[in-house]
Amino acid sequence: MDEEKRLSRKKNILFSVIAVALFCVLLFPLYWALITSLKTEQEIFQNPPTFYPHILNTKSYAAQVETGDFNMFRSFANSFLISTGATLIAVLLAVPASYGIAKYRFKARKVLLLSFLVTQMLPVSVLLTPMFIMFKNMHVYNTWVAAVLADATIGIPFSVLILKNYFASIPKDLEEAAYLDGCNKFTAFVRILIPIAKPGVMVCAIFSFLYAWGDLAYGMTFILDQEKRPITAGIFNFMGQYGTKWSYLTAFAVVTIIPVALIFIFMQKYIVSGMTSGAVKG
Amino acid sequence: MAKIKKFFRYENVGMLFVLPAFLYMLAFVGYPIIHNIILSFQDVSAGNLVKGTRNFVLFDNYLELFGDSVFTTSLWNTLRFTVSCLVFQFIVGFALALFFSKRFSFAKPVRGILLVPWMIPITVTALMFKLLFATDIGIINFLLRSLHLIDKNIEWLTTPGTAMFALICANVWIGIPFNMILISTGLTTIPKELYESASIDGAGKVQTFWRITLPLLKPTIESVLILGFIYTFKVYDLVYVMTSGGPVNATHMLSTYSYKLSFEMFKYSKGSAVANVLLVILLFVGVFYIRATTEGEKE
Repeated sequence: MDEEKRLSRKKNILFSVIAVALFCVLLFPLYWALITSLKTEQEIFQNPPTFYPHILNTKSYAAQVETGDFNMFRSFANSFLISTGATLIAVLLAVPASYGIAKYRFKARKVLLLSFLVTQMLPVSVLLTPMFIMFKNMHVYNTWVAAVLADATIGIPFSVLILKNYFASIPKDLEEAAYLDGCNKFTAFVRILIPIAKPGVMVCAIFSFLYAWGDLAYGMTFILDQEKRPITAGIFNFMGQYGTKWSYLTAFAVVTIIPVALIFIFMQKYIVSGMTSGAVKG
Repeated sequence: MAKIKKFFRYENVGMLFVLPAFLYMLAFVGYPIIHNIILSFQDVSAGNLVKGTRNFVLFDNYLELFGDSVFTTSLWNTLRFTVSCLVFQFIVGFALALFFSKRFSFAKPVRGILLVPWMIPITVTALMFKLLFATDIGIINFLLRSLHLIDKNIEWLTTPGTAMFALICANVWIGIPFNMILISTGLTTIPKELYESASIDGAGKVQTFWRITLPLLKPTIESVLILGFIYTFKVYDLVYVMTSGGPVNATHMLSTYSYKLSFEMFKYSKGSAVANVLLVILLFVGVFYIRATTEGEKE
């Protein structure tokens, strides 16, 4: 009966070994990209392949700083600017919206909720051409603004749907106590509710950032000049031009993963809660 | 003025909070959708995209699609890609969720790290799998050679059938963590007492799985599969970076074909029509999803 709770020593070891094996197999692609970025081109083409770099080669990283031809650190900075902008818009708009939906029962509520749910399912293909025309007319085409505006449309619906659950779980009493203390609806929202929903706000910020960071379609379509493009579009361009320079390509990939890895290391609990609550509930 | 003030008293204040986000989405998503529908009924090319007059051609763009073999290939590809991915990622994800529900020392940390593939930008994932499936230096060809399963390197990404296989592998890799974590969460909602009383009644492990675990997980399984379908069916970045729809259109999906028509061939209206077909299929499936989520809400 206790089997579910405590495993015998033997089983514990066996399961842990299997877990480590699974870990190695499933994360192998990442390891392989990392070590390829640290090999010399010659070693990459060696047969049989080496499973760790025999000659450590950091040139593929250093070359990116020295030659201005394909500066991955500039595309990194572009991506950072675009993702931060999109995250700010998404959070600033989604926080009040989700509060409104969670705490008030007005007529259009269900329709609004539904429309946020539907926008989450939209394929980018539907939006690309009309947005392209719109951004041309707004004179923001080929600037980072276009990518920010487009990327925020991914973060907003996700954030609204996640945060509404957080606000809904805050008891009404807390709000009423704030009114007694002289707060009005807006000050109660800012001073009492937002601080309580902070973990939810973090989840929204992280996911909005990750969505924007991973975007390729918008950045590639709405920004023409390579030096203004996000890092994902940079990689894609680079692949087209230096298709077999794997050490450079994988170095590019590793640099792109760095922010994702940092977010994972320091904010793992938010990731799990975002993936589960957000995804199941919409 | 007084009327407006009266309207926004009590519950309707909520609307004011939602308004900014709603207007934003209306401008940058709602309007484009309508615009895209209009585009698909016109004849728009590079010449009259931003300025100039556009003629209405009604259903011509859609009718043209039926005779277009690349469109029908894309539609079929999207379907078989989606179904194959769903089957594999669901089975592996489910197995992993069951495995990590056991309480052994490394269960939690390892399960956590396995979420990473889901977070990585898809462009990077595509690049990593291109490397794994590379013809000369690819580790997959090396493994197959070492096991004497092949004696000549397979050109994975430039052969139609194997290119699709490589795409499916990459997408399953992204999908596994998503399936695993949702099913893991679903498993924790099953009351422990049920398993206890089942074992007292003498039920075996297999029986417990079919009679208790699976039926109680039904809502989770439904939403995992529907969400998985929606995410997979609109696949874009992965295919665009790994194969760009090639070799010779063999791996085009609706999304990549739409992109090619619009932004490489400048047949914007036809591209919009393809995108709308994709949208209609997604919305059709989405209805099931919305039904499932709003049922749970009960408000």
